[in-house]
Amino acid sequence: MNGPAAEFSMPRSSWAAAVLPPVVALTAILALWEVYVRVRDVKDYLLPPPSAVFRALWDDPDRFASAAATSLTAALGGLVLASGIAFGLAVLAAHSRVLERAIYPPALLVKVTPIVALYPLLAIWFGFGIGPKVAIAALITFFPMLVNAIVGLRSVDPQALDAMRVLAASRWEIFRRLRFPSSLPYVFAALRISVPLSLVGAVVAEFLSGSSGMGQLILIANGAFDTASLFGAVFVLAALGVSLTALVGYVEGRVLDWHVSAGA
Amino acid sequence: MTSTLDLAADGALTVSVRGVTHRYPGADGRALLALDGVDLDVRAGEFVSIVGPSGCGKSTLLRLVAGLIASQAGGIEVLGGTPGDAQRAHALGLVAQEPGLLPWRDVAANVRLPLDVTRTPDGARVNALLEQVGIADFAGYRPGALSGGMRQRVALARALVHRPRLLLMDEPFGALDELSREAMRVELLRIWEQERIAVLFVTHSVAEAVLLSDRVVVMSGRPGRVRAVIDVPLPRPRGEAQESSAAFIETAAAVRAALRAGDDGGAA
Repeated sequence: MNGPAAEFSMPRSSWAAAVLPPVVALTAILALWEVYVRVRDVKDYLLPPPSAVFRALWDDPDRFASAAATSLTAALGGLVLASGIAFGLAVLAAHSRVLERAIYPPALLVKVTPIVALYPLLAIWFGFGIGPKVAIAALITFFPMLVNAIVGLRSVDPQALDAMRVLAASRWEIFRRLRFPSSLPYVFAALRISVPLSLVGAVVAEFLSGSSGMGQLILIANGAFDTASLFGAVFVLAALGVSLTALVGYVEGRVLDWHVSAGA
Repeated sequence: MTSTLDLAADGALTVSVRGVTHRYPGADGRALLALDGVDLDVRAGEFVSIVGPSGCGKSTLLRLVAGLIASQAGGIEVLGGTPGDAQRAHALGLVAQEPGLLPWRDVAANVRLPLDVTRTPDGARVNALLEQVGIADFAGYRPGALSGGMRQRVALARALVHRPRLLLMDEPFGALDELSREAMRVELLRIWEQERIAVLFVTHSVAEAVLLSDRVVVMSGRPGRVRAVIDVPLPRPRGEAQESSAAFIETAAAVRAALRAGDDGGAA
């Protein structure tokens, strides 16, 4: 059937219109950078040209790939853990104002505390492996999901709720058929915020522990005045952030094709 | 009224409201009296409208009958039990001013919602209602692609799909343009002739109330009281042509006079 969705889906030509400008802009920035470094003869340890950065990446891709995998595992582990717990608490809070008042202040405390300050404590509890990294990523991504999910679970259409209540629908029926789907736009908004935050959390934890991952790679490169590798690590982290955000956007577009934000 | 009504008997009361008074907490701490000693009957298969000025508590009355707000004083019986009993018996259908459809479900799935909730699948009934309200061609569309009038048709089909005994309508056409309103009135009359269930219909429009109803309940504003109950002597089946009949004009005039009586009373 030729549904209304077909009218609103992007024509193929505008995909090019969406992708080309940022690609051209990025290429122009890299080109300007390259020319500037060469013309002004900037020292490599201050600012290597992009060509040197890409050579560093090219020469030892395994080093970057394994460090990226380590950081990504910690980041996503923390994100999934925190999002799951936060959504569960949000379900409780959305059904009871008393529980919401109980949950909110401790959650706010977690949000306003500089999480980095907790690192020594987390290292004592979880050792120097992946544990404290996951914990930092989790603590940093917990609050956006909690707040968004509470608002989302409460943002049900009152007329739809009434239509279900006159059928004596149970809380579970109302949750699965109305509240949960209604919360999804807010859940995805939270993920868009917390996905990059989880990477920040993991890398900061690696700076502090110096044991593995992109954070350690950056520390070592920095110590060796290997600025090209340092930039390489930054490029890889940026690419990870962009890819994860794009992935969230893709899944969101698939799941929320009914939502007003779809196609916008 | 006794509480041992024979539900199947002709003339049995579908809704019986006795001396219902309702207060809302006001902003200044003093309670706002929304309903004051309201009586109301709806007999089985009867179409009853409630008209009154804004804020006369007619929506409150409807929501009390629907069991969506708890009654404070007075007696409300629906099909011989409490509104909660009627909910649990899946005997109520509700259409509000906004359709309240689920945007992620297509039209057919929205109509099916009550059957999903009550775990009584009946695909034939869904298809029959889609036909009945004239939206069968749009079964696979999401509500976002439909006009306001079409969405309200979907809401009407959803309210009827589980074969309720009482249809509650709270200004169901209030958000529609005039042409859609007129089309929906005719549509509702046709469907009501077929389904033959009791309807309690809240509206601002005197013409709408008279055209549709067996009886029109006129309420006064703040606090809401029943000022008059006016029988509509028009023959059935009805159609828009009757809006120019003498009986229609006389009845509408009587309803308007009853509405206006309050303004004079307030000024005196």
